[in-house]
Amino acid sequence: MTAPILELDAVSKTFGTGADAVHAAQSISFAVNRGECLAIVGESGSGKSTVANMILGIYPPSSGEIRLNGTALPASRKLEHRRAIQLVQQNPLSSLNPKRSIGASLRLALDVHDIGASAERANLVGALLEEVGLPADFARRSPTALSGGQRQRVAIARALACQSEIVVLDEPTSALDVLVQARVLKLLNQLRETRDLTFVFITHDLSVVRNIATRIAVFEKGRMVELGDTETLFANPAHPYTRRLISAVPVVTLEEAALRSSLAAGLEETTE
Amino acid sequence: MSTPTLDIRNLTLGFKGYTGFTEVLHGISLSVEPGERVALVGESGSGKSVTARIVLGLLQELRTARIGGSVLFEGRELDGLNKRERHALRGKAMSMIFQDPTSSLNPVFRISDQFHDVLRRADPRITRDAALERAAAILAEVSVRDAERVLNAFPFQLSGGLNQRVMIAMALANEPALLIADEPGTALDVTVQAQTLQLMRKLVEEHHTAVLFISHNLGVVREFADRVYVIYKGRIVEQGPTRAVFEGPRHPYTRALMAAVPRLTGGGIPDIDEDSPDFGAPLETHDAEGRA
Ligand SMILES: Nc1ncnc2c1ncn2[C@@H]1O[C@H](COP(=O)(O)OP(=O)(O)OP(=O)(O)O)[C@@H](O)[C@H]1O
Ligand SMILES: Nc1ncnc2c1ncn2[C@@H]1O[C@H](COP(=O)(O)OP(=O)(O)OP(=O)(O)O)[C@@H](O)[C@H]1O
Ligand SMILES: [Mg+2]
Ligand SMILES: [Mg+2]
Repeated sequence: MTAPILELDAVSKTFGTGADAVHAAQSISFAVNRGECLAIVGESGSGKSTVANMILGIYPPSSGEIRLNGTALPASRKLEHRRAIQLVQQNPLSSLNPKRSIGASLRLALDVHDIGASAERANLVGALLEEVGLPADFARRSPTALSGGQRQRVAIARALACQSEIVVLDEPTSALDVLVQARVLKLLNQLRETRDLTFVFITHDLSVVRNIATRIAVFEKGRMVELGDTETLFANPAHPYTRRLISAVPVVTLEEAALRSSLAAGLEETTE
Repeated sequence: MSTPTLDIRNLTLGFKGYTGFTEVLHGISLSVEPGERVALVGESGSGKSVTARIVLGLLQELRTARIGGSVLFEGRELDGLNKRERHALRGKAMSMIFQDPTSSLNPVFRISDQFHDVLRRADPRITRDAALERAAAILAEVSVRDAERVLNAFPFQLSGGLNQRVMIAMALANEPALLIADEPGTALDVTVQAQTLQLMRKLVEEHHTAVLFISHNLGVVREFADRVYVIYKGRIVEQGPTRAVFEGPRHPYTRALMAAVPRLTGGGIPDIDEDSPDFGAPLETHDAEGRA
């Protein structure tokens, strides 16, 4: 039996002290298997990004343990840990240095993590851009000269550049039109297979989650209130908060509206 | 007959770069009446945000941008205004909610100070105490429960959704005639998003605010907008009342877009070409009564 690639064991995070303390994450435990796409959904401020930041080692947990391939991660990470877990962010502009060309940003990632022979790296940059559906000559552009969607693809390319095992995706496609979103989600699915990647996928978009996640963790006010595989969770959401989330999704088809109202009907029985 | 709040006619835009001239907008026309909610949807990179930036007078200041056509705000040609007059409009008569809250909130100032600045645009003599009181009231309207903590915070101390609600509150603070919302729901969860849309709807109705709403979320557009424009590669390809466009999309690009929406009922990620020669077909217009 192989250990899960990533485990969170009673992980908590508190910001500030005394009366000002914010309990952003409270005793969160879950395990992610290699090759899985675990989605984290929940209301704004429920602690999704806080958990993501702890997984990435941006800050350590206040208590609890995070394990990578069965080994506890230290509070200050080594380069190899940072390479193994990469982030694709909610706001692509803030994650790309505007003073650097797209190509230079990707090149820097390759240099830092020593990926490929240095003579090859210019070609690798072009190949990465093409892998995410951008022309190779975008390498010369500044991130400010790209649309929101184009920038998000660059951010995905940079995460791929590091050859990481785990990619934390924080709202990776919410800046994309649905056609491009479909292509990027397909691309992510395909990369998950070919590169044997594991995803932690944070999003508010339950329609996306429904179609891409293998399992779903539902967060509310710093706690995980439900964890289940995608089919089961949508067919039979156990927690009223999960029901409320699903029944608030704006939809376009009648079948979806029917699903929504059947869940909302169940909701009236359980609350108020 | 009323004057539209916003009337864009045959707007063109290109950028001068090292490698030559790139045309981005090929002559788009759209209008928003007082109190109307109009959505602009379509391809990433098709020119939605640059259109918004031109209306706000932000791209005019960029040396590489070449802008043609006309933009009328409450019947006045924007081109005829000088920089100071344009600045005076912005944040008062028209305001904007940006795609990326972290790039429009200043990271080095507390939310309270940024609110004070915004309110001073409409009322230069407002005191700090009065500004904070007003800010707390507006934050409560966008269901921020602990306004005091939020006002005291720097943007990095708040979640993405909280920052976005702060931005929405700031944009509404001076009761603008035109609100441009560029992806206002991106960082919001669905329950808050629903509340936010309700709030925006209330504002529109109470103050007769015109809203130009840019979004990729077609479910949200369907629930929120009165009219829809679909844009593809710098051209409007379909326009009409929301119901008509959703129930009978005619342009091949609009049809592809609708088919690509991920369904809450599952079925996987649809396999649809991102590009097709058919997408170059001419403009489809649905008439005002919504008959397809
Ligand atoms: N650096 C920080 N200092 C103080 N408080 C913080 C900090 N980072 C986050 N918080 C607080 O922790 C809580 C959880 O925030 P987090 O960013 O994890 O939410 P989220 O679930 O990602 O929300 P969203 O969907 O809006 O992005 C919020 O109340 C937030 O204000
Ligand atoms: N300052 C600039 N210089 C050069 N090109 C630019 C500049 N700003 C935007 N562009 C280009 O103009 C086009 C339109 O960009 P815009 O940001 O309006 O797209 P959008 O429709 O808002 O897309 P998204 O839905 O992804 O946000 C894009 O191809 C972009 O690369
Ligand atoms: Mg977040
Ligand atoms: Mg945009």
